[in-house]
Amino acid sequence: MDFRFTDDQLLLATSVREYLAGTHGTQVLRRLDEQGNRDPAIWQGLVDMGLTGVLVPEALGGLGMGLVEAALIAVECGRACLAEPLVDTAFVAAPWLVREGRTDAIAGIVDGSRKIVPAHAINPWLADGEGARLQSVDPLRNLTTAPHDASEDPYLLDLGALMSAAQLVGIADAMLEQATDYAKLRSQFGQPIGAFQAIKHQLASCMVAIEFARPVVWRAAAALQAGGAHAATHVSHAKLAATDAAMLTAETAIQVHGAMGYTYEVDLHFWMKRAWALSGAWGSRAFHVRRLDEAVIGGTIPIGPEHTFA
Amino acid sequence: MKLGFSPQEEAFRAECADWLQAQMTGEFRDIRGITTLTAKAERRKEWEQHLGEHGWSCIGWPKAWGGRDATLAEQVIFAEEYARAGVPGRVNHIGIELAGPTILAFGTEEQKRRFLPGIAAGSTIFCQGFSEPGAGSDLASVRTKGRLEGGEWVVNGQKIWTSLAHISDWIFVVTRTEDGSKGPKGLTFLMMPLDQPGIEVRGITQINGDAEFNETFFTDARCPADSMIGGVGDGWKIAMGLLAFERGVSTLGQQMAFRNELDEIIAAARANGAAGDPLIRQRIARAEIGLRLMRYGALRMLSNTDHSKIDGAALTYKIQWATWRRSLGELAMDVLGQAGEIAEGEAYEWGTLPNLFLYSRADTIYGGTNQIQRNLIAERGLALPREPRGDL
Ligand SMILES: Cc1cc2nc3c(=O)[nH]c(=O)nc-3n(C[C@H](O)[C@H](O)[C@H](O)COP(=O)(O)OP(=O)(O)OC[C@H]3O[C@@H](n4cnc5c(N)ncnc54)[C@H](O)[C@@H]3O)c2cc1C
Repeated sequence: MDFRFTDDQLLLATSVREYLAGTHGTQVLRRLDEQGNRDPAIWQGLVDMGLTGVLVPEALGGLGMGLVEAALIAVECGRACLAEPLVDTAFVAAPWLVREGRTDAIAGIVDGSRKIVPAHAINPWLADGEGARLQSVDPLRNLTTAPHDASEDPYLLDLGALMSAAQLVGIADAMLEQATDYAKLRSQFGQPIGAFQAIKHQLASCMVAIEFARPVVWRAAAALQAGGAHAATHVSHAKLAATDAAMLTAETAIQVHGAMGYTYEVDLHFWMKRAWALSGAWGSRAFHVRRLDEAVIGGTIPIGPEHTFA
Repeated sequence: MKLGFSPQEEAFRAECADWLQAQMTGEFRDIRGITTLTAKAERRKEWEQHLGEHGWSCIGWPKAWGGRDATLAEQVIFAEEYARAGVPGRVNHIGIELAGPTILAFGTEEQKRRFLPGIAAGSTIFCQGFSEPGAGSDLASVRTKGRLEGGEWVVNGQKIWTSLAHISDWIFVVTRTEDGSKGPKGLTFLMMPLDQPGIEVRGITQINGDAEFNETFFTDARCPADSMIGGVGDGWKIAMGLLAFERGVSTLGQQMAFRNELDEIIAAARANGAAGDPLIRQRIARAEIGLRLMRYGALRMLSNTDHSKIDGAALTYKIQWATWRRSLGELAMDVLGQAGEIAEGEAYEWGTLPNLFLYSRADTIYGGTNQIQRNLIAERGLALPREPRGDL
């Protein structure tokens, strides 16, 4: 067992983080919100970095990496509150289409000419689909009604849930960072509010939740990559842990910001709403609890001391 | 202890219900069921005046000032029927529940004559100018300055988060009137007309896209010298007295609105099958218990007449309801599932339950944040040592 990443994996995540920090800051979120949510230049930048080909086999023109690498990048997409459907297209649709042997669209995904968001029966809406436009609470998501021929493939669902979990971890990281920065900056009663234990403890609790969600997401990525028998259980665990961490952090970050956190003018709300949207997508909390419950009580996963770290 | 209502009280209930239902199905049916604070503001001002004309705008006030001297039980009944009829929240709730009672308690006879009839008639809408960019939880650090000049108060500075200032007529402000004073000393409580060149109101958009609150800028803004409540330097005492009214009878009306919200959640859970999920069922059951706890807590708090002692019910009430409602918002979203994430139309406008989720993020912030409430409970209720202040 080894929970460490290789230098290459870490470098990849860092370079995506730095690229997005430099090109996709909060002023970009606000501009997108005012000007229709999508900017071809942002998409092209992601394509130029090779991100659309991460999970595409080298034989098909991609980088041939695995779900662990993709999950690391998805965390960064969450952190940046990226609105472009990179995760859906490159980390959910691409591996699913490859697995299905439907490779005709792959070249278009890699070269950036096709954004494909797969429709799954568990989702009533589709991001960036072709149906009628819907207004999401997340102002940067372009939602549309789902087509009738949505897939019911469980592998697709697990990919979607895993990648949502990874994004939720990044979203939680970003909100915790914003709240922590604000707690150092904002003074009341003659001192930074971060000096009050009531604030410290709340922020610390978020950190606990996030740090414990992180390895669960990695574990799920590795399990789904390996195609193990219990991969779905790991994915559900990851989705639940990441959802709980992100929702707790959203609530706390608003609270720490006081009335500021309740405005549309402070950027925090973009992340809070993305967290809300992704926590419901690809299986709600209830759905994933049920899958765990069926696995544990139903006995489909082995339990007992020798299986604790499985 | 006496539970239940007398036959007279039940007759009063029927009277309230008949009148309110008639308005909400008749002349004012267009405002029925509105849950945001800002929608149809002009019509809701007309509603305030209509309430005033028919003697229903402030039934707990003395008869002499447009009220009905209503008993606590009658006020409970009216609040219940008000919410049951689907009447939207009062755009003058700050006038009726905060400014009016403050003037009644601390104002001069002349001030009562000047302000109370307009508030009761729904023609004087008030907003609250306490918070400033640098003075939120630490209200005593306000910096907006007031000085007397030629028989008038002249005010300079900035307030923020002033709910409904854009549709109000008057604002009450806590100002620093003693140069060099710090903390709660040297503050004065003033009432100012908003419609004047020295006051500028700019909206702030909230997370739900609505703009209920504002920044309010004062640049040589003026009001007559006798618009001060209490004396020069009494501002803190008056402000604290006013905040105590915030926990008054209006809390009962608020609970009826909560009742409606919970009922809507239950109906949604039945309709979409979420009620079949045992976790959801348990949370609904807990929400129901929480609502009842609050109701008894509020009745206990309101029936306390000995205000010389620390009142555990009053001290714990705000954090209890605010935290309850914040989780109610989360329950609403879990019941609706992904459907809760979609607006009904093309605009960024939200139905009752998504709005409940968004709006309830603020419940644990305004009127004293949860952290401040816990500090108060610990320091006043439990006499624990006070938190050290950074600057003292
Ligand atoms: C919807 C809404 C409507 C409002 N309407 C009005 C209005 O009409 N008029 C008006 O005057 N104001 C209004 N307010 C402002 C409200 O009173 C303030 O938001 C509130 O007092 C908190 O102040 P703040 O926002 O500056 O947060 P801050 O005081 O900056 O607090 C930030 C965080 O620090 C914490 N904190 C601060 N001090 C301490 C401490 N000593 N110990 C532990 N934690 C601490 C807080 O709990 C919070 O989590 C409104 C606010 C909202 C959200």
